[in-house]
Amino acid sequence: MLNTGHDLVATLSSDVSTEAEIEESDRWYQRFVGGAMMTNVWEAVVLLLLPFLAPNAEGTQYSPPGKPALTRCRSPEKETFTCWWEPGSDGGLSTTYALYYRKENSETVYECPDYHTAGENSCFFNKNDTSIWVNYNITVVATNALGSSFSDPVDIDVVYIVKPNPPEELNVTIMEDKGWPYLRVSWKPPQKADTRSGWITLIYELRVKLEGEDDWEMHLAGQQKMFNIFSLRSGGSYHVQVRCKPDHGFWSEWSSADYIKVPDYFHREKSMWILITVFSTFIFLIFMCFLHMNSNRSLKYYILPPIPGPKIKGFDKQLLKNGKSDEIFCALVVPDFPPTTSSKCENLMVEYLEVYVSEEQELILEESKELHNSLKCEGSTSDNDSGRGSCDSHTLLMDKCGEAKGDERQTDGEGHPMEMEAQMHQRDWKEGTLSSAYQDIVSPDMSSGRVKTWPSVFSPLHQCGSTSLNQMNSLAMAKQHCLSDNLSPPGSASSFLPQSGRSTTETHRPNYCEFYSSDKQLSSPKPQAQTHRKLQAHSDINISHKQAGLQSPALRPTEYVEVQRVNKEDMVLLQPVESGCVCGDGCPQVCQDYSKVKGLNSDNMLLLHRDVMEGEEVRSHCEKQETNGCITSHITPATQKPTDCIPTVTPIVQKEMGLAVSGYVDTAAMLTLPTH
Amino acid sequence: MTKAWFAVLTLLYLDLSMRVGTAPVCAYGQAGCHVPALADLFDRVIQQSSRMHGVSSDLHSESDQYFLPSRNLIGKRKCHTYGIRTPDDKENAQRLGPEQLIEVILSLLGAWDDPLSQFYRSISQDQNQDFNHYSSNKAMEISDMVHDLRDGVAKMADKMKLSGVLGNAANYISPESSVSFYKRGELNSVDHHDLLLCFHRDADKIKNYLRVLKCTTLPGLDC
Repeated sequence: MLNTGHDLVATLSSDVSTEAEIEESDRWYQRFVGGAMMTNVWEAVVLLLLPFLAPNAEGTQYSPPGKPALTRCRSPEKETFTCWWEPGSDGGLSTTYALYYRKENSETVYECPDYHTAGENSCFFNKNDTSIWVNYNITVVATNALGSSFSDPVDIDVVYIVKPNPPEELNVTIMEDKGWPYLRVSWKPPQKADTRSGWITLIYELRVKLEGEDDWEMHLAGQQKMFNIFSLRSGGSYHVQVRCKPDHGFWSEWSSADYIKVPDYFHREKSMWILITVFSTFIFLIFMCFLHMNSNRSLKYYILPPIPGPKIKGFDKQLLKNGKSDEIFCALVVPDFPPTTSSKCENLMVEYLEVYVSEEQELILEESKELHNSLKCEGSTSDNDSGRGSCDSHTLLMDKCGEAKGDERQTDGEGHPMEMEAQMHQRDWKEGTLSSAYQDIVSPDMSSGRVKTWPSVFSPLHQCGSTSLNQMNSLAMAKQHCLSDNLSPPGSASSFLPQSGRSTTETHRPNYCEFYSSDKQLSSPKPQAQTHRKLQAHSDINISHKQAGLQSPALRPTEYVEVQRVNKEDMVLLQPVESGCVCGDGCPQVCQDYSKVKGLNSDNMLLLHRDVMEGEEVRSHCEKQETNGCITSHITPATQKPTDCIPTVTPIVQKEMGLAVSGYVDTAAMLTLPTH
Repeated sequence: MTKAWFAVLTLLYLDLSMRVGTAPVCAYGQAGCHVPALADLFDRVIQQSSRMHGVSSDLHSESDQYFLPSRNLIGKRKCHTYGIRTPDDKENAQRLGPEQLIEVILSLLGAWDDPLSQFYRSISQDQNQDFNHYSSNKAMEISDMVHDLRDGVAKMADKMKLSGVLGNAANYISPESSVSFYKRGELNSVDHHDLLLCFHRDADKIKNYLRVLKCTTLPGLDC
């Protein structure tokens, strides 16, 4: 507690000092001066006279000494203390310094007992001169020949200037706690500080750092003389230092460092690092795979292949979701299938088949007309993926296998008005058996022996498009063709039955419907058109044959006529499908040839769509049938590519053939005009 | 007749057997009696003295802010406890012995009881607002601390006497001079400062003496 206090010398003091203080300072000064004079009288005289005696020729200016200053006072153990001062300018002369002190509540001025023990410009107070809890007023006086100067007095209390020596005997050892090492640091208090008697109480602080680093880690240890340091780095070398401080005082200097090297327990750490490395690598690889997946399409497709959607041409998922079946079926109707009239097909004569129908049937017929119109000339290029049946297919289809011809399928569409219409058309189309089939279809009370046709396929087509009258007519003509003489169309002798150029029905065996593509109707003989023209199917014959063949067994209401095959001459062999023999011969094999009917020409020729499978021989499993009258559809060699657009496709044919996008040809469906 | 005698005898017997004897609890350190050990007492007392010293330091440093730092005690006034002869170095303290040391401690503590109360009263009524509210709380706290410490040291002395560490000759008498020192009127700011300075010193003395006492009587790990 060094307070700068006012100057005892009244002349130098600027603070307000009371009278007592002035008096005291005067007394002090008198004492000092008196003392000085008593001891160094001659010296003082010499000093005073020196400026006058010595010439100033040299130019050096001697002056009284500068004002010294007490820098600090320290006590290492609260039993002794030392004060240091800073001398001022000596003024060119030898200057002596003296320290004087006064104790609290005492007037006695004492001089420093020991100037040497503590070194230069210091004053050491030993135990006898040291009193604790007593205020010391200390002043340093610098004196030279010319004068003296007093330093500012300083008040100190030894209790507050204690700065102990650093702790001693610092010892650092390595201990182990469950396999993990830690440092145990121990030390001793400084020798001089008497902590054993309790006179001085020290608190300790230590610091640790790794060799090579700059940051120290501080730890306050309190009054204990031992400390543990954990969390060591394996293989590291540590520096440890410790210092101490009394209750009220200054921190000591840091003790000398003690070095210790921690042994390598790195196998534990290493395994941990290995684990961390592996784990991070694993995560990294997963991350890269993820990125790779996102960027690389094939990988993604490899892991999550896209689900193939339906490849039905015209198949619209949205419509399916909407749930309107009509729209779905309409969408299924590909614009180019069934082939409708086009420029090349214009010459194809498509006549309407006028059928006398009842009122209700008339309505259906009207609609069927639209279906006829919807027949397009262009060949219906059905989707490759669309349900193409093989030649063994049960139902007659328009596929690459061959030309389909009037397949007759089991119908069940009694309740459907469209089906009714189709049935009606079928009825109109087929004479004889067919007509009976119509009746059977249209009016369920038809007699047996009729062959029902499949109208239902056409029913959606019926709504889809509009057909030209030509198509209608052609279809009607086709129907006419197919009407067997044997069959007595009840009421089928409608006024709409056109008179075709040639009634192929008569010329051909009645077992098959024959579809001829009328030559005259072809204006621009395109392969497709020719194909269509040439295609002839004699469903009526077929039916009649069937009828004949099936006299014994009662004709089931719904029977199929399917294409047996397409022979070399591009003849489509049709045969009625039955569980048993078709041609009445008990043919074991049921030809399941499907061919797509492109349309019906004016000659009532069923235009079949012959797919790429050219030259495929439809197996004629019914040779006998052939001989017996299985009439095959004649397809001119020119029309070897039925894939081309069929110029004329009668809607009737289409209907009867069950033309649909699917390529199924159903005789019953032929009756209904597919509407595009 | 015999029944009456029997009843009287029975009652007498019960009375005698069930008489509850009053005795100070743990007066003589009976077995099973939880008496704090002397070391614990010492620790508590020393802790209390440290706390007291800390509060006194705060008060003193706070008062120093309001006063010119140049103000010093020398020549101005003495602490009222100057009459109490206290050892001012280690040798003197050790030479005193435990009994006298306790006596000094108790004297000091006793000497500060009243002045601190007076100080607190003066602070509370201080018109100059030299000390803020925080200081007034501390002043109240310090007076209680002194009182508690005094009681604690007394108890400890008794304990020491019982343990045989202390002779029975130690009897402390609180000096009278301390009471009269601050008798005059109210304390002004200067008085406050001086008082706090003196008390700060005396608190340090007390703390130190207690520690010396502990290490003299119970040399242990802390010494």
